Amino acid sequence: MKEDNITVKDIFWKFLKIGSFSFGGVYSMLAFFERELVEKGKWLTHEEFVESVAIGQMTPGPPIVNTGICIGYKLKKIKGALATTAGQSFTGTMLAILLAVFYVKSKGNVLLTSVMKGVGAAVVGLLLSIIFKMSRNTIKDLKAALFASVAFFALALFKLNPIGLILASGIIGLLVYGRRT
Amino acid sequence: MVLLKLCWLLIVINALTIGGGFVMLPMLQKEFVEKYHWLTNQEFLDAIAIGQLTPGPLTVMNAVIGYKISGLIGAVLAMVSSYLPCIIIVTIVAKYYYEYKESIIVQSSFKGIKPAVIGLLSAVAISLGNTALVDPLTFGIAIISFAVIAFTKTDPSFVIVGAGILGAVLL
Repeated sequence: MKEDNITVKDIFWKFLKIGSFSFGGVYSMLAFFERELVEKGKWLTHEEFVESVAIGQMTPGPPIVNTGICIGYKLKKIKGALATTAGQSFTGTMLAILLAVFYVKSKGNVLLTSVMKGVGAAVVGLLLSIIFKMSRNTIKDLKAALFASVAFFALALFKLNPIGLILASGIIGLLVYGRRT
Repeated sequence: MVLLKLCWLLIVINALTIGGGFVMLPMLQKEFVEKYHWLTNQEFLDAIAIGQLTPGPLTVMNAVIGYKISGLIGAVLAMVSSYLPCIIIVTIVAKYYYEYKESIIVQSSFKGIKPAVIGLLSAVAISLGNTALVDPLTFGIAIISFAVIAFTKTDPSFVIVGAGILGAVLL
């Protein structure tokens, strides 16, 4: 790794580019990362990249952003981590704010209401497809199915707080799976 | 006070978003829509759509929520609060990667959280469905969107734009 030649500014610009063109799924984005950082930039070795992706996936928060934070940290410690986060989120945040301004200003507009009615239905479909894909990867045995259904009823019927439910399922997970002899 | 509450909630929620960006939805909906009434269910749906349309992770929807609650400052603070826990946790994990990876505490608690989150998301899908699916047309759009995203490699952004156009023409 030619760490010395890379400045925090370089990191910011590189991740601004990555963050601005990161439409599409996780895998197309990871391929983009690898091309920009490992093949073209030679900022990281393939192994360092793979490790960063793994860390991104097993920490809370969006995996892609976390992969970027990890890479930034490897390159330039905390400054690098801040540069990757800022770079990666800049374009999306600006666009989201612009859309939010537009959305709040044109509230009640008849056309926007119809557009958002269609969009809302699509979001429900999207959410269902996410649930479908996550279930295929995660719910592989009875225990996992039990975790999922208890959490479902706890929220849907008993209106318990999801923050508490996630914490509780972590603790129960620890009790159920943590016993290693 | 509202800003402080917003920041604190987003920090907690993002620190618990284990397994992908959608995991924050049940927590966001409970706190912002049901408990504090800062948003309606419809506005929450719209924020998800905007988060999905813009480049980068779904997390940018928090900028939309922040903007709705307290304008530009709300949007910026929402994003800072959303990424703060990520930066802290990831830099610590990067330092102690091998200990973390092998940690039975982390592994086994995640093993409980991941399926539970699917249950929570299903409950959210029903609640949002109640708001969004009001007639055969919206039902149809939801079913088609589900099928296209689940079974083809189409980018969800296209599906959302397509549904918006359909909405403008038909609804």
